[in-house]
Amino acid sequence: MIQTDPLDNRIIRFYQVSKHFGDSWALHDLSFDVETNEFLFITGPSGAGKSTLIKLLYMGERMSSGYAIVDGLNLTRMHRRQIPVLRRKIGVIFQDFKLIAHLNVFQNVALVMEAAGFKSRTEIRRRVGDLLELVGLADQAKAFPPTLSGGEKQRAAVARAMVGKPKIILADEPTASLDPEAAERVLRLLCAAHARGATVLITTHDRNLISRFDTRVIRLEGGRQVADAAGNAVGVCP
Amino acid sequence: MMDMFRRAAADFVRHRFLHGTCFLTISLAVFIVSAFGLFLVNAGELMDAWQQGVRITAYLKSDISGQEALALAEELAQKPEVASVSHVSGEEGLEWLKEQIGRQTDLLADLSENPLPDALEIRPEEGLTGADAFDALAKSVSAQAEVADVEYGRNWLQRFYGIYNLFRMTAAVMAALVILAIMFIGANTFRLILYSRQEEIEITRIIGADEAFVKYPLYLESMLLGFCGAVAGLALLYAAFLAVMPQVPPGGLLPVFQIRFLSPGWIFMILMASMFVGWIGCWFTVRRFLRI
Repeated sequence: MIQTDPLDNRIIRFYQVSKHFGDSWALHDLSFDVETNEFLFITGPSGAGKSTLIKLLYMGERMSSGYAIVDGLNLTRMHRRQIPVLRRKIGVIFQDFKLIAHLNVFQNVALVMEAAGFKSRTEIRRRVGDLLELVGLADQAKAFPPTLSGGEKQRAAVARAMVGKPKIILADEPTASLDPEAAERVLRLLCAAHARGATVLITTHDRNLISRFDTRVIRLEGGRQVADAAGNAVGVCP
Repeated sequence: MMDMFRRAAADFVRHRFLHGTCFLTISLAVFIVSAFGLFLVNAGELMDAWQQGVRITAYLKSDISGQEALALAEELAQKPEVASVSHVSGEEGLEWLKEQIGRQTDLLADLSENPLPDALEIRPEEGLTGADAFDALAKSVSAQAEVADVEYGRNWLQRFYGIYNLFRMTAAVMAALVILAIMFIGANTFRLILYSRQEEIEITRIIGADEAFVKYPLYLESMLLGFCGAVAGLALLYAAFLAVMPQVPPGGLLPVFQIRFLSPGWIFMILMASMFVGWIGCWFTVRRFLRI
């Protein structure tokens, strides 16, 4: 059982976490901790359980066994009413962007704040405007996702993930469907989020991408954790 | 709240085909139920108007004197079910009969004596309704020693009440079936709407929206659909009512009876019921859909 300590700097704590779908094990006995403001990669081949791990972290799926705590919230016995509280602490970026097609870029990003209960339209406009400026989409604020390129969609997704000022950013293969230039831009934005204090956890199977960073890498294979290599904690972003 | 209205309105426009189908279904259902309601309300009022014209005639025995007849009239007038009692002498009865048969009065000329007995015409209280109540009053009148016979169009009254009750039961069953149909269709339409928005709802929840943020605009949409559908159904019924009314001659059914449209109370009740049924259909679907 995990003991919580208010002075503990670990924002994510996994202890013997397993997840199975029917008879098939997606994750098996996963144990690791993540420090606040850490920048780490989860890597492994397709089917290793990377995406399942991300889903467990934002409670898109419930774990089958084990214990997990995310920013003081116990995922093991979390009531469904508490799930939105957890998700407001997390910004998630997906490989397929998951933008709402009939909302424009501004509305997609603003939806996070509306869902979190922000009432002030001025505050929403200001914060979303700043974020769109940061990701280079200020001119595309009124554009709808189907009209954007892959890189632009992913930058909009990054803006959406950052707008709620989350403590944790989970990026599930964020550069997999992007060209090198667009991928580079997205990574720089994730570094910017890290520089602002967020804990960033990126899943990828791209070894070239990981090799550019001097940071911690957890490797999964067949749902098991096979390596946890620490990197230099300072100045991880190139 | 304004934000919820804004999102509900945007959803209306975005899913106009599905919402349009649901709207038409509700309109049609409300039209059918309201048409039955309109019929029942007017049939009920027709019954009331007709009942107010019903008189119980008690024919007295031939050996009853005028004074005894008046005493009996006073006694019967004390009954709570009786509004008034008037005494009709045999002579008055004969005069009335002559008036009714008109030119064939000669038929009565050869009568050596008036064959008509004295009678009491009893007007029941307005609150007295139902064939059984009239039966009971007639029986209590005929039980009087001075009364030879009682007449009040029993068969007509029973037949009319029978038909009215049959319609009332049919309407209740129809209304229940139509309400179930609206709920079923409404629930399924909302299921289609939710399925078409499954990804959007999933994304909204991933970014931290709670259930209230997702479901309250849907509840609002369902109630608005119920309201708009009911307004359209009632408007259609009113148009049909205006079209049919000129075909009904004034006083054609009863001189004192006028066919009327549904009262504001009924309209309010139909609007509320339609909103409720729309909401409950949505509630069932959302409850199942949002389960993790």
